Amino acid sequence: MTENNTIKNPIANTEIAPVASTEITHESTLYAEPIGHVGSLTITNSLFTTWVVVFIVFVISIVIKFKSKLIPKGFQNFFEFIIEGAMDLADQVTGDKKITARVFPLAFTIFLFVLISNWLGLLPLGGFGLVEHGEEGLAFIPFIRSGTADINTTLALGLVAVIGSNVFGIVSIGLWKMFNKYVNLKALGEIFTKVKKDPTILISAPIMVFVGILELVGELAKVASLSFRLFGNVFAGEVLLMAMSSIFAYVLPLPFMGLELFVGAIQAFIFAVLTLVYFTIAAQDHDHEEGHEEHKGEHMHA
Amino acid sequence: MDSFISTFHIDLKIIIAQAINFGIVFAVLYFLALKPLKKIMAERTGIIEKGIADAKENAALVANTQKEYEATISKAREEAHAIFQAGKADAEVRKAEMIRMAQDEVNRMVDQGKKNLEAEKIKMVDEAKKEIVSLVVSATEKLLADQADISTTEKTIKNIKKA
Repeated sequence: MTENNTIKNPIANTEIAPVASTEITHESTLYAEPIGHVGSLTITNSLFTTWVVVFIVFVISIVIKFKSKLIPKGFQNFFEFIIEGAMDLADQVTGDKKITARVFPLAFTIFLFVLISNWLGLLPLGGFGLVEHGEEGLAFIPFIRSGTADINTTLALGLVAVIGSNVFGIVSIGLWKMFNKYVNLKALGEIFTKVKKDPTILISAPIMVFVGILELVGELAKVASLSFRLFGNVFAGEVLLMAMSSIFAYVLPLPFMGLELFVGAIQAFIFAVLTLVYFTIAAQDHDHEEGHEEHKGEHMHA
Repeated sequence: MDSFISTFHIDLKIIIAQAINFGIVFAVLYFLALKPLKKIMAERTGIIEKGIADAKENAALVANTQKEYEATISKAREEAHAIFQAGKADAEVRKAEMIRMAQDEVNRMVDQGKKNLEAEKIKMVDEAKKEIVSLVVSATEKLLADQADISTTEKTIKNIKKA
């Protein structure tokens, strides 16, 4: 930011024109700023925002728990409308009501968690924070930074989604099948059992083993894509709003605030839908499907 | 990798803390909001489905009752008609019998009247005869008192009596 002639490159975090000043500065950093410590754990403003999210969700849940009635009114009506709509949408994504019933709570939690995190970062709480002595003078550190504007949060969510999908896969199709998806021992074993009958297996089996390794890399890519997409969008939004504020404070950021509200909702939706997709893929037994395909082929021949 | 970690300040403790936060949000939302709400929604759906089923059952019951009502009414009408016809026939019989009885009574009364009349007539004739005889005797006695002798008179009287 340029509040005291100090310009900082937020990407490289390097100072371009250091100026000694007593003015309070606020820079948009790639990382969440620390606001305290609990033992060895650094409390960042993004972690604090996540606690606020936990509190908000807790209050909403308590209200629903104790105010829900058989004949819905007001907030309950709205929440039920959202849940029913989300369930229908999840059904369309999974194509299976049983999978939806099992995965929906997690996907909906992700949606709500990311949505509230994204929107909290847009709250105009400019004066709510700490003033600390930094290397370049006084620095303002806001308490509220969007939870998802910190790669640690999005990484945690990505890991939860990807690890969760694999656990769901193990529960749905079994440990052996999930293991063979990544380390294709079955394909390796078929080299010895089917080589006389079908010599092409000498080529196809190593390919299958390599595909398994690619699947493993793909899981890591899922974590990276989920976390960096969300982080990138939210952080870019914050930087954009700060840039607009520096051009024409209070007025110019307003349309961009609306845009960021939309982006926040879309990003939450994308994260939740992708989680649903990963869970659905993990619950599908490819061997079973291939068996079906073979049976179909045999029937066609017959 | 180190520069990547330092640039983004990736901290395993914060990742774990955020994962725990998410876990708390999930548990809270699932146990306090989604589960009770799902239960209420299922309960409501059950009530609505039961209501619809009851309404269908009631509609069938109403239709059935209507049919039964119509059948009962129709049967009652038929029975009433039969009773009416039987009553009508019975009344006809009774009417005929009463007419006959009345006819008989009238005939009997007429006969009785005739008999009474006849008896009265005979009685009157007898009385008239006696009166005439008495008058004739008196008149004859008066007429013949001076002219006829007693024996002739007695003979005449006897002849008259014989006649």
